[in-house]
Amino acid sequence: MNLIPGLEITGGALNAQKTRLDIVAQNIANAQTTRTPNGGPYQRQIVSFETELIRQEGVPGSALQGVKVANVTTDRSPGQQVYNPQHPDAGPDGLVTMPNVNLSYEMVDLITASRAYEANLAVAKNGRQMALKTLQIGK
Amino acid sequence: MIDPIFQSDTYLLARKLLDATVMRQDAIASNIANAETPGYHRLDVAADFAQQLKAQMASGDLAANSDRLQPHLAEDPNARSMRPDGNSVEIERELLAMNQNAVQHEFLTDIISGNLKQLRMAITGNTANA
Repeated sequence: MNLIPGLEITGGALNAQKTRLDIVAQNIANAQTTRTPNGGPYQRQIVSFETELIRQEGVPGSALQGVKVANVTTDRSPGQQVYNPQHPDAGPDGLVTMPNVNLSYEMVDLITASRAYEANLAVAKNGRQMALKTLQIGK
Repeated sequence: MIDPIFQSDTYLLARKLLDATVMRQDAIASNIANAETPGYHRLDVAADFAQQLKAQMASGDLAANSDRLQPHLAEDPNARSMRPDGNSVEIERELLAMNQNAVQHEFLTDIISGNLKQLRMAITGNTANA
């Protein structure tokens, strides 16, 4: 029984957006990281989403589509080269390769993700109101 | 004896439309969840449900067929994608549709409650409890 309509889908979406916020936080935190376990500077991570069909028994028509994180990929674009001979990770020519994190991209992603999260929360709240109203039938 | 009261057109119509609002809430949840999924097409309750309901109301056989008529979901044929990723969801429109749907749901539950209250009043004769 599904008392609150849309809750399964909204739950998946909230989870997906939260993962995106986590990855944005990771990118911003590592905006200056020039040394990683794999060697080389930190590389920006990108989250991509995919749909997930939600099974509904005995209901004809199009299936509902949830959302989940498909995968987290690495942005392979080269980072900026900064001349800083004092830096421990500087090459022989005094250039340091910085991570390919662009703070303005990350901030835009951060805002988009948090707004999407809010929109999904509004759906959950609305579904709850509807369920409560349904329970009031006949009272 | 009681059965005909539950077979009144208003009651049956409100019941069917209430099913549709719950289904629409599911569809809107799916649309908002997939607001950023490339190639996603917005879902809604299929338009032929309203047409069938209207036709049955007009012909007066809603009571006989009410169980066979069920709302179902379909991709919204009127939604056009304005975005390069082919997604046809506009989040503002979805939020407005969601609010409208909530009001509709409230209205329909009130109608059904009103119907039940009338029935209770007729049985008990007690207007204070109704």
